Order: sequence, then C-alpha cells, then structure tokens
Amino acid sequence: MRALHIAATGMLAQERNVEVTSNNIANMRTTGFKKQRAQFQDLLYQDLRRVGSNTSTSGTQVPVGVQIGSGVRLAATTRIMSQGELEGTDKELDVAINGEGYFQITLPDGRTAYTRDGSFELDSAGQLVTADGYIVQPGITFPDDTSDITVSSDGEVQVTIGDETTTTTLGQFTLARFVNKAGLEPMGENLFLETPSSGAPQVAVPNDEGYGSLLQGYLEAANVNSVTEISDLIAAQRAYEMNSRVIQAADDMLSATSQLT
Amino acid sequence: MNCERITLGSNDAHQLGAKWLTVMENSQLIGLTRQMALRRKMDVIANNLANINTSGYKSDNLLFKEFIMPVAKMNDFRYSDRKLSYVQDDIIAKEFKPGGIIETGNPVNAAINDTSSFFVIDSPNGERYTRNGQFEINSQGQLVTTEGYAVQGMDGPLNFTLEDTGIHISRDGLITSDRGEIGRLKVVTFDNLGALKKEGNSLFIGDNPIPVDDADILGGRIEQSNVSGVVEISRMIEVSRAYESLANALKATNDLRTNAIDTLGKLQA
Repeated sequence: MRALHIAATGMLAQERNVEVTSNNIANMRTTGFKKQRAQFQDLLYQDLRRVGSNTSTSGTQVPVGVQIGSGVRLAATTRIMSQGELEGTDKELDVAINGEGYFQITLPDGRTAYTRDGSFELDSAGQLVTADGYIVQPGITFPDDTSDITVSSDGEVQVTIGDETTTTTLGQFTLARFVNKAGLEPMGENLFLETPSSGAPQVAVPNDEGYGSLLQGYLEAANVNSVTEISDLIAAQRAYEMNSRVIQAADDMLSATSQLT
Repeated sequence: MNCERITLGSNDAHQLGAKWLTVMENSQLIGLTRQMALRRKMDVIANNLANINTSGYKSDNLLFKEFIMPVAKMNDFRYSDRKLSYVQDDIIAKEFKPGGIIETGNPVNAAINDTSSFFVIDSPNGERYTRNGQFEINSQGQLVTTEGYAVQGMDGPLNFTLEDTGIHISRDGLITSDRGEIGRLKVVTFDNLGALKKEGNSLFIGDNPIPVDDADILGGRIEQSNVSGVVEISRMIEVSRAYESLANALKATNDLRTNAIDTLGKLQA
C-alpha cells in the first residue's frame, strides 16, 4: 500500500509550506525582507505498464501506459526579490534602495554580507553601522560636530561640519548586484551572503546603469502581501487535511484486508 | 445447474461439492484482482493529493478494463456467463485541463495559457517538457528551472546580463529587458498528449514535439496544479468503500467454503 507513504510525503510537503508561509507572515514588518515561496515537484514514477510496449506480435503498441507516482517533494524555497514599498521614516540615516542592488556590510569576521535594510546608525567612533553595529562599506566616518546629513540619490553623503557654510562630502555608498540574486544565502539579521550560484558581486555606485537609486529618510518595507499569504496558508492547511484523509482511507483498506480470516 | 436431491456423503455429492468449491475459488480470485487494482488506484489518488500544490502538475486517473481469462471457464453456467472476467488496470489517463494561474512577483516565471503546450527543458537525460514555469536565472545568467536545467529559447539558450533590468515576458513569449530583446521561449505541443510520460520533477518525456508559433504566455505568473481536492476525495471514498465491500464479499465466500467443506465432509452414519 504505497498510498500511505505517498500521502505522508504530501503531509510533509504541506508542513514545510506552512512553515515558509508563517515565516513570511512573521516578517511582514521586517525592513528589507523578501518573501519566500515553497516550490514543489512530483517524485519519480513507476512504470506498471510501459507506454509503447508491444501488445501483440503484429506490432500493436500500448498507446498510454500505467505510471504510478511516488509523491511530492519540496524542490526549493525561492525568494521573491520584488521591490518592497518605500515607507517614509524622517530619519536622516535611513536609506532605501529604489531598484536593484544591495548595501555591502562588513561582518565581524571580515566577510562581506549584503542587505536591502538601510536602517543605519552611527557608532561611538562616528562610523556608519547597521542596527547590529556592523560597518557599512565603503566605511564612512562622521566627525563629531556634523549636522544636516544628506544622502543624494547616487549615494553621496554630504554634511555640514561645525559652523561651515559649505557642505563636505564624506563618501559615497556603493551597491552590489548579482546575476542570480535569488541564489544569495540568507544568514538572518536581514543579511545575505554570496554563494557560487549567486555569482560574484558587481559593485558600482547608485544610479549607474542597472543599479537602483537611494532615497534618504525612507526604508524598504517587506514585500509580503498579507492577503496572498493567508490564502496560501489556507490552501496548505486544506491540502494537509486531504493528505491525512488519504492516510486514513488507506488504513481502513488495510484493516479491511487484515480482518479477512 | 441441475440440483437433484443428492445424498450427503455419496460419490455424487463429493463431485458436486468439488465443482462448487471451484466456483467459489474463481469468485475469490476475481475479487482479488479487483482489490489489487483498487489499491493501485488509491496510490494514484494519493499521488494526486500529495501534488495538490505542485505547480504545473497534471492529475492522473487510473482506468480499468475487463480482462477475460483465456483458460478459466465455468462450463456449468449459462453459455453467456461461462467466461470469467477479471479486472486489470489498463491506462493512466492524464488530465490536461488547466490549473489556476497565480502571480508570483518573479518576472522570469511563465505560464502557458492553453491546455496542450509545454516549455522545452535541456535535462541531463535529454530534452524534457514541462508546464511548470518557475524559472530562475543562474550564476551564468542563463534561464534555468529549479533543478538548474536550461530552458530552451527559439534560438538557443536564454542569457541575461547584469545590465538587464525591467525584465518582461510578453504574451507571445518574447523576453525583453530595458536593454532590448533577450530571446523567445520555445513552446511545443504533441499529437497524442496521453503518450507523454511523467519523469518526476514536473518533467514530461515525449516524442515528436511540434513547435507552437502562436503560444499564449503569461509572464510573472505560474500555473498551479490542476488537482481538484473534491474530485480526488470523492474518488478516494469510492475506492475505499469498494475495497471494503469486496473484502466483505471475499469473507462471505470464504465462510461459504468453510461451511461447504464442513457439511460435505461429514460422513453420514
């Protein structure tokens, strides 16, 4: 009775589906979060009556065979990299990317991580850091007495130092792009790491061809749509229930057989 | 069959008894073939329900046929009833009705808006066909499936570069970006869709694909599974009830046999 095992693969897959959906819902208000989608594929098939096999010696063939599948598996959890809404925060160190690209962040172990979360802060040394205190590349240090911080759409950071009447350029943000951004590895804390499947980062300044522009005082909201998530959740739950009904029915059939004496 | 009064324990009674036991044996075997077929039907239903959220999945239905046993015959019956017919699972009918189409937010996803066309995939085992348009771009910039198999375009593989933004797939399958044309998705169909074989991983194996020139393609969307939960659950109930009633019938025949052996075996004093 393979139905038992097939339905079990179905229940397992739907369980994962609920996990993915609940993670999306949990991160609905996470800055720069990109939702995931569970993708399923059918498992291998067993030929019980092979299509195209001979049915007689005069060359007649089976037009349509009998193939029985063996269930389902979770093939991938793809990240949907569409642009999230930009929400105004009025905070001068909040920067959102409108378009393609990632901010580069130096991790404490020296590796570079990538993020769309532009809620930056200053640390005690005046360096621009993420909410976790990791340094934002290319490393912009603000002197003590700065005011009127402006970030232009192409990433130039300009400030007024002390009582000066002219602005000083402290540095320029750079953005990294990947051929396959869905191939980035999420490491939590809104950060992603480069992988062989994402390809090497291509770094340029904002507003370059193919790169997004920066928007000061805004943050990119998660691209999670509550309506689709809830309907996905309902679909997953119903599919789970139906698979458990199959297990029940298969069990009933087995017990009908075992009661034959 | 003539049923004259026969004395229990006589020679005639033994012969008649043996004949009836064969009848019962046949009915049990016929019941068993049906049960075996029902079990397989249950497996097919389980596979459909397991794949109710698999995009591009097409549901299967196992059909049965009568199988006339060439050697077994019951010559004691009326002539028309003499042949014994068993049950055999004959074909898997794949339903190619379309599944629902949903938006994914991924511009390189694609769905085909008809019931008979397929995307062409270069798998390591040769050309394969799929309705699952959940495509990705790999690190070399090529359009691939979730497994990393290349998706075929009309003029070779479909390659993107870093400068390609604003990717869009038009209704006729043309992929464009802000930089210009990238290529056109290759779409094929088949004369006999029923002869397509499923390979797993949402792929079909088929012979003699016929190119489709006027395919209707929806970009940024995918086709969901066409499994209908209600239909499968009602089929499932049907199967499990049929199975149980057969089990009861088999049990009844078995009881009958036990009785017959008991009664006929008794020697009359």
